[in-house]
Amino acid sequence: MRLPLIVLALWLAASPVLAKDDFVLEDEVAFCMSCHGDTGLPTEPDYPVIWGQQYFYIYTQLRDYGAGRRENETMTPIAAEYDRDQAKLLAEHFAALAWPDIPAEILAGDRQLAEKGITGGQCSACHGKWQGDSRIPRLAGQQVGYLRKTMLDFKNEVRMNAPDKISTMKQLGDETIDALSRYLATVDVQ
Amino acid sequence: MKSGIFLAATMSLCIGAYGAKAQEEISGGATLYGDLQSVTQSMLTRAAGDGNNFLHTNGNYAQTRYYPASQINTSNVKNLRPAWIFQTEVVDTMETSPIVVNGIMYVTTAFNHVYALDARTGKQIWHHKHAMGPVTTYCCGPNNRGVAVSGDKVFFGTLDAKLVALDAKTGKQLWETQIAEPELGYSETMAPSVVEDMVLIGTNGGEYGIRGFVKAFDTETGEEKWTFHTVPENSVGVWATEDATGRDMHRDIEAEKVALAARGDPYETLGGGVWQNPAVDLETRRIYFVVGNPSPDLDGSLRPGDNLYTDSLVSVNLDTGEYVCHLQYIAHDVWDLDAVSPPIITMVKDASGNDVKGILHGGKTGHVYVHNADDCSLIRFSEAMVPQEDMWTLPTAEGARMLPGANGGVEWSPMAIDPNHRLSYAINLHQPMTYTVRSTPYPEGKLWLGGSFDVIAEEEQWGNVTAVDYDTGKISWQVRTEQPMIGGIIATAGGLVFTGEGNGLFKAYDSSNGGELWRFQAGAGVNAPPSSYTVEGQQYIVVAAGGNAQLNFKRGNNIIAFTLAD
Repeated sequence: MRLPLIVLALWLAASPVLAKDDFVLEDEVAFCMSCHGDTGLPTEPDYPVIWGQQYFYIYTQLRDYGAGRRENETMTPIAAEYDRDQAKLLAEHFAALAWPDIPAEILAGDRQLAEKGITGGQCSACHGKWQGDSRIPRLAGQQVGYLRKTMLDFKNEVRMNAPDKISTMKQLGDETIDALSRYLATVDVQ
Repeated sequence: MKSGIFLAATMSLCIGAYGAKAQEEISGGATLYGDLQSVTQSMLTRAAGDGNNFLHTNGNYAQTRYYPASQINTSNVKNLRPAWIFQTEVVDTMETSPIVVNGIMYVTTAFNHVYALDARTGKQIWHHKHAMGPVTTYCCGPNNRGVAVSGDKVFFGTLDAKLVALDAKTGKQLWETQIAEPELGYSETMAPSVVEDMVLIGTNGGEYGIRGFVKAFDTETGEEKWTFHTVPENSVGVWATEDATGRDMHRDIEAEKVALAARGDPYETLGGGVWQNPAVDLETRRIYFVVGNPSPDLDGSLRPGDNLYTDSLVSVNLDTGEYVCHLQYIAHDVWDLDAVSPPIITMVKDASGNDVKGILHGGKTGHVYVHNADDCSLIRFSEAMVPQEDMWTLPTAEGARMLPGANGGVEWSPMAIDPNHRLSYAINLHQPMTYTVRSTPYPEGKLWLGGSFDVIAEEEQWGNVTAVDYDTGKISWQVRTEQPMIGGIIATAGGLVFTGEGNGLFKAYDSSNGGELWRFQAGAGVNAPPSSYTVEGQQYIVVAAGGNAQLNFKRGNNIIAFTLAD
């Protein structure tokens, strides 16, 4: 197909152009696992599970970190070193791993509050049954702390690389976000 | 002789070479189960009178969804029972229109599985699972609305923006064509249409900053034959201040002109997806389709001008894709109240009471729009089928309430008509929402709404089935439903309309007055358009019950065929 030139130029320009010179996949994977866990369980409760996460979502997030569209003091400098192919290799590697089983608890009333928030935000239109697909991340079984942090980061305009989520999350009270986090963490991974 | 059988036999006699073959297979006055034989152009052209098959997503090229068999009718529909239930491998949102060719049924599921079934028994003949690429895009669920059939091929579009042709007998892939770049937000959920040697298909992506199109591909090779961009390079238009019904849209035209001078024409990322099949007029060699919303949905500041041809009925030449005419319902839409339900060709009364060829479209606004097919001009619009409040209140940073909510009115759900009653049948949503704007730059293929539409959870939601006299625009009858409605509807010569609900109910109504005559609990949301067919003298009604991701109705995986109890 013939892409519109301006769109194509924007698209290509959005990715870091420099490759990491001494990129060795095994070394980079080991480096990632130092935080994201060598069994899939991250070392901190507000770090995301990336084992078994959607390939294109991981790749997109690495690109966004590298280009400054998503900011994090740890991830931004790391991702900035990867070119497209290197980011794809890492995304492929982690997407192929098994999602870890992380115990989580839901509290009385969480489901009702969560479902009210889901209805209001029309979350299922994109997130479906929470298993993720391609550019849509798996939320089922994700860490409670990371889910909560992410939703609050959207709400408080800290995370900016999916700006439409900002408006949606601003409609939700913190109590609903807490309930949603616990609810999603307990959804079965399929 | 049952009237459906009589009609089926009559049609078989009427349709040339195919008719002769079909006649040989008729035994004892009843149509026989076929053997995956080719679908001829004659069959496709004459589908409106074919009481055996269901060959087009919306029944026929005019997209009337009026099925000519009457074996199942107002007097006996109470005896309708499930004949069989087929469960697919995918338990998720279903929007497929079952296609039936000589007793073989083709259905699709979420994530692009295709099944061929014995339409008499539900027995699986083959199952094709698309080898999905790593990048898919969808705003509103991993949906697929079904296949097109022609010759010995079955065609469908995919979430990774491909058009695929399968061997109808085996389900083996014959060819695939990459329609557009999925990383930029292009994808396919609509069923294609086939006319002669062309497969016609639009694109999703109005929520991702695509540049929309309708394309024609060669049925044999998958080679592109023509492209019509739904957004022209000059998308500015006439700076319309009122919508098609004459209501002020509160545009700041001066500010838009300043933005246009500063930014240039926004056509390259202006959206304009085409969600549903075109109506085809072989007499004039024109097709008619509706174009969806501009990108970003809620933020007009980045896209000055009328944003042609978003939110419009458009007609192009069937053979070349050249523009013929259009009518824009909402210029510079900032509410996503766009045009998605497929248009219908039928004779209508014009303003002088003369019969003219017309085009009907059910809008998210809640109006049925009635056009003159010659020049796309608007003859009339119907009474509102759902509450309209504070139209057109502009979206704000805090969120502004306005009705209808962004899902409609009539969503992508196809309407049906009964030309004898001169009625159109639409299913509607009432979902109060707030519209919030938040300006952000083009995000390179990611979701780009420019804000959000948020359901007001405290307010009641519901739906309705509404019959409109398209010669007058008056509502003839209306039945309220428990939940907002999405999926589709079919009318039959048996004096019935069939449609389903998110709570799992599938119902038959008297098409003349809306009286409920039959219901069945399917166990999952019935949010797909029903079809009908006749095999071995037995008429069936078939529908998918898989729920709906967009409205979060209970998911399932059932194809359910109904017929009269012995």
